[in-house]
Order: sequence, then C-alpha cells, then structure tokens
Amino acid sequence: MSNTKEVRVWDPLIRFFHWALLGSFIVTYLSGDEFMALHEWAGYSIAALLVVRLIWGVVGTRYSRFADFVRSPSEIKQYLQDIMSFRARRYLGHNPAGGAMVIALLFSLSLAVLTGMAAYGSTEALGPFAGLFSGLGEEGADVLEELHEIFANAVLFLIGAHVLGVLFASVQHQENLVESMWTGFKKEKV
Amino acid sequence: MKKIMGIALVTAFLSMVSASLMAADKAQLGKEDWERSGVTKNSGKPRTCSTCHGSDLTQAGRHIRTGKRIEPMAVSVNSQRLSDKKKVAKWFKRNCKWTWGRECTDVEKSQFIAYMKQQ
Repeated sequence: MSNTKEVRVWDPLIRFFHWALLGSFIVTYLSGDEFMALHEWAGYSIAALLVVRLIWGVVGTRYSRFADFVRSPSEIKQYLQDIMSFRARRYLGHNPAGGAMVIALLFSLSLAVLTGMAAYGSTEALGPFAGLFSGLGEEGADVLEELHEIFANAVLFLIGAHVLGVLFASVQHQENLVESMWTGFKKEKV
Repeated sequence: MKKIMGIALVTAFLSMVSASLMAADKAQLGKEDWERSGVTKNSGKPRTCSTCHGSDLTQAGRHIRTGKRIEPMAVSVNSQRLSDKKKVAKWFKRNCKWTWGRECTDVEKSQFIAYMKQQ
C-alpha cells in the first residue's frame, strides 16, 4: 500500500509570494505603454515582493531557502538529462531544474525592475533612480527602455518554460504541483 | 505618339506638383496642430507640442517638467528622427496623451510627420 501521508512543503508566505508575483507581473506586463501610472505601481509591488523573497531565501522555512534548492550547473544538467530519460528523482521541495528556474526568474525580474526604474528616472526624472539617471540624454534613455523590454520579455519566456516544467514534472511523478503551490501540501511519497 | 508623350509628361508634372502641394498643405496643418493646446486631466497650464519642443523644429527643445534637453525634431538637422517606426509610435502615444489628454488620430500623426519632414 502506498503512503498517502500529506506534509507541509510551501509555507503561507511562499504561496502568497508566488501568486502575488504572478498577479503583479500580469498587471505590470499588460499596463506597460498603456497605463503608465498603474505600470509603475505594479512594478513597485514586484520590487517589494522580490526583496521579501530574497530575505526569505535566507531566513525562511526549509524548502524556501536558497540553500535547499540552489545546485551546481553539473547537477542541474544531470537532472535535465534524467528528466529526458524519464528517471528523474522526485523532490519534496524544488528539484534541481526547478531551483535553477527560481533563480533565473528572480534574476530576470530584478533586472526588469531595475532597468524599469532607471528608464523612469532617465525619461521622467521620477522614481528612486531619478537622481542617478535624469542627466542621461535621449539615446541613453532609449537604450534603458529597450533593455527593460528585453528583460520583461525574458521573464515572460521563462514563465512559459516554468509552466511547462511544472506540468512535465507533475505528469512524471503523478502529482499536482500547481495544487501544492496553492494548498502548501504534498504527499510525502508518490 | 508625340501627343501621347506630351500628355503623359504634363500629367506626370501636374501630379508631382499636386503631390507636393498636398504635402505642403499637410505640413501646414501639422504646424497648426503643433501650437494647439488640448484638454489634459492634469490641468495646470495648457500644453502644446511647442511647450517642450519649441516652435522652431530645427532647434533643440527643453522639457517643461523635467528640464531635459530634447534633440531637434526636424529631420533635416536630426537624421535620427522618424528613422525608427517603433520609437515614433511610442512617442506619439505618450506625448499626445500627456499634451492633449488623448491619443492622436492617424490623420493628425501624418500631418505632424509631414511637418517634421518639411522643416
């Protein structure tokens, strides 16, 4: 008989962070170029969520900590190969590929937020970086906006890859990972 | 044969003249809009294109709020202008909203473009 004991994996803060980040990203992405006031505030909410996540990655609960899921490139590569040959080990927390995705997403989002605030500072002379970037000329301000768009689109691409990875892992290990990110619980063994 | 050539030449000449007259007309309308203030939500002083870009397109402007220098809009002195489709669309959208409180129509945009090309 299989063990059906449920264990708590994702704490409330991580679950709130995950879905709030998704919501904020959707609002920010869609409001860009259209509703700039909304875009700026949705962007700030992403910034706040990122700061909380970085701190939680050090002081948070077991599976939230970077130390739990940040692996070496060779381990990540090995795990990706294991996935392809359908013998990837199941992890209660993030598997090595999932952990790499967390880092890639946090990194791209941080760059999108930083270049966004820099572009806002250079073009509008507003925001936290107004002092640093308001002296930049037209060309420089344009480059910042281009970079901002590139990073935002990189995040969108990574989200797509993330969703595919989650679906793939869910099928491979016969568990509903999306539901787990909502309830916080996972089966101890599958 | 000569007659046909003559008619063709005259037609070509006339259409060129009328095209350039139409362009001049268009540029003139763009010039008028350049100084037209629209209704903005943030009220304060009425804004026109010239508030920040100035009335002489061959000269640099100065942004009324940020105080930043804006490179000349005339294509004749600034070859960067109108060279990037995406940029043109982006700034029309932003600046029409900021200045007139609404997006510009395609006709208005084409008149502004004609004006920038003509100067």
